Amino acid sequence: MIGFVIVSILYIILAIALLYRVFKGPHAVDRVVAGDSVDILTVVALVLFSVYSGRGIYLDIALSIAILGIIGTLLISKYLEGKL
Amino acid sequence: MKPSKFNSILSTFIFCYLFWIIFTWTFTSQELITGAIVSLLVAILTSRFFIHEDANYLFNPARFLNLVLYIFIFLMELWKANVDVAKRALSPSLPVNPGIVKVPTEVKSEYGLSMLANSITLTPGTITMEITEEDNKNYYYIHWIDVSEKDRTKAGEAIKGTLENWVRRIWK
Amino acid sequence: MYLVYILMAIGLFFAFAGTVGVLRMPDAYCRMQSSTNIATLGTLGALLGAFLYAIYLKNTGMAIKILFIAVFIIVTNPVAGHAICKAAYKRGVKAEKLTCDDYGRDFPNE
Repeated sequence: MIGFVIVSILYIILAIALLYRVFKGPHAVDRVVAGDSVDILTVVALVLFSVYSGRGIYLDIALSIAILGIIGTLLISKYLEGKL
Repeated sequence: MKPSKFNSILSTFIFCYLFWIIFTWTFTSQELITGAIVSLLVAILTSRFFIHEDANYLFNPARFLNLVLYIFIFLMELWKANVDVAKRALSPSLPVNPGIVKVPTEVKSEYGLSMLANSITLTPGTITMEITEEDNKNYYYIHWIDVSEKDRTKAGEAIKGTLENWVRRIWK
Repeated sequence: MYLVYILMAIGLFFAFAGTVGVLRMPDAYCRMQSSTNIATLGTLGALLGAFLYAIYLKNTGMAIKILFIAVFIIVTNPVAGHAICKAAYKRGVKAEKLTCDDYGRDFPNE
């Protein structure tokens, strides 16, 4: 079913559009928020591609990207707050 | 109410073991024994961060049914808030009116407080910033994208809606 | 089978709206609200579509993993949103034209 590939390519295009905010954001907080959204969109694209190709390995990669993304966001926010 | 140490370790162990079985999805005896040892170790090390109140409280058919119903109610609220914020983002004049309001709540237990705060943060348009306690009443500080009411109780009605009654039906 | 396409279209629409919101909103806090829009229905629509298709293929392990990824994103996203919002306020990020600011009145910033 080729529709999954098209939808995942559209998700990746949205993630590339978000990179503009990552590069230009006036404060570190804007960059972190945009980076978190890029993480989540990448996870969705990986899951859709995994369903298309029928291999389970992409699901494990998607899960680890989701876990590392949340840990990174929490670490940077704790650092900005000054408690680390 | 503080639960006993054995009880909290047991509930954390059951939680971890369930996730092990879901992830591996094989039922040979080696895998099951390894999972039991690993989740027992994790339970002993982390149960004091994970369980703060009696977790067996949820094992009650009426409360569990309410929890399942709450998911559907919450999805309805999520849909409405998502459509609202999407309209705001896509309209040409960008009608935002942000502000931070202080909202009182009636929920007492810790799990109920965190569940309500996470639900409020998850609906687009509102983010919980902090929970404070003043003379036996808990308050949320909420960043709201469209402040239509400055009065505390009316703003609380507008933000929480029906969610608070459902949370109070599940927890205390 | 058309249900899968409808769910994916819903997810794509909300992800698009969230992206436009992140690029256009005036200050950092409003951008956070739009990024919540991406993380809730933008992912939930597409992941539910993939879940239904995996059940249609009779691939149960894959379906359970996809459902778990969806639940994981939904549970952990508000924690990150709460932490980053509080850090931004403590750091002194300027918010444009707040109508009312109870938090700054009760906890003045040093």
